Amino acid sequence: MREATLTMTDPIPGKPGNAADRPAEIQADPAAVEEAELVQRARKGDLAAYDQLVQRYQERIYATVYHMTSNHEDANDLAQEAFIKGFQALKSFKGGSSFYTWVYRIAVNKTINFLKQRKNRSQMSLNDLDFNAEHDPDLVALISDKNPRREAGLTELQEKLNEGMQKLSEPHRLVVTLHDVQGLSHEEIAKIMGCNIGTVRSRLFYAGQQLQGFLADYLK
Amino acid sequence: MNQDSENFDSLRQLLALKRHEVPPPGYYDRLSRDIMARIKAGHTGNELGAELSWFQRFLNVFDVKPIFAGAFGTAVCAFLVTGVITSERTPAFAAGTATPEGATLANLSNGATPEVEFAGTTVSSNAVVTGSLFDNLPSLRTTPVTYSLGGN
Repeated sequence: MREATLTMTDPIPGKPGNAADRPAEIQADPAAVEEAELVQRARKGDLAAYDQLVQRYQERIYATVYHMTSNHEDANDLAQEAFIKGFQALKSFKGGSSFYTWVYRIAVNKTINFLKQRKNRSQMSLNDLDFNAEHDPDLVALISDKNPRREAGLTELQEKLNEGMQKLSEPHRLVVTLHDVQGLSHEEIAKIMGCNIGTVRSRLFYAGQQLQGFLADYLK
Repeated sequence: MNQDSENFDSLRQLLALKRHEVPPPGYYDRLSRDIMARIKAGHTGNELGAELSWFQRFLNVFDVKPIFAGAFGTAVCAFLVTGVITSERTPAFAAGTATPEGATLANLSNGATPEVEFAGTTVSSNAVVTGSLFDNLPSLRTTPVTYSLGGN
């Protein structure tokens, strides 16, 4: 990870609160303008504003960390630490990218550092599947075919899938999580990971091959 | 390639399962509350980061940019190695030349008689140093004493 290139250090001329100095994408999007206002208030110590930012992004941040760790408790701790770190480092956030991308990178960096430290301790603590899982068209198609998946329950599939994810390296797991689970575009992933789009694509392809090999019994 | 593509489609269908993994009900309400409580607990001043000690801010730099942690560790190691090398090159008392008049413990144990000068008077010790300082002390003996009271 090229953490030294975090957008915290992006030079943005002019006053942070000046709308004319904001990137074009932020000026055009009302939601982005609102986010920029919240960030400005939070930078001045407005905790209510930061609370709104937390509520806006906590699900995506938690989910990303959870899919990376396959452990609810670890994801809880890391998501909290990422937002606390984000608050403490807000002064260094110049607005060169969205707050979302910025805090995402903090969470991703923290998670990767954590995973490197816990290398030999991979205990899964999986969340339950929601009620809609059984009605998801993708999953219905998947388990209705005549193959081993039919016998496997959703819980077994879930465990097997998470085991497969944990066998991937951190960067490969991250691209799969961000693209195939979170639904982010290649461009967004490249921004978050600090690499180019070609790297994202090649990592996605390689990770797909790896997962395919591990989950061969559960695929067509 | 088509086979790969089909398999990836199937894999993506399987990966859709992960979107249905959700934390316990009410978790996100607690998460934001916990985050804000932890921030408030450490946030006493109006200025962001003012509550952090210099040491905490120092550690935070490592967290945001881990390359600094590596550089700091390298600098500390270099400092330690330099310290060890420097201390080895410094003349030490162990060489036996730093004591005055060459009166080292080794010489004393060989029976040498060190001379110590006090304001022009030389005091010479003729005692032969043996194994212990207490070896030359006279042995104490108890002698009974008889007293008689009265004139007789």
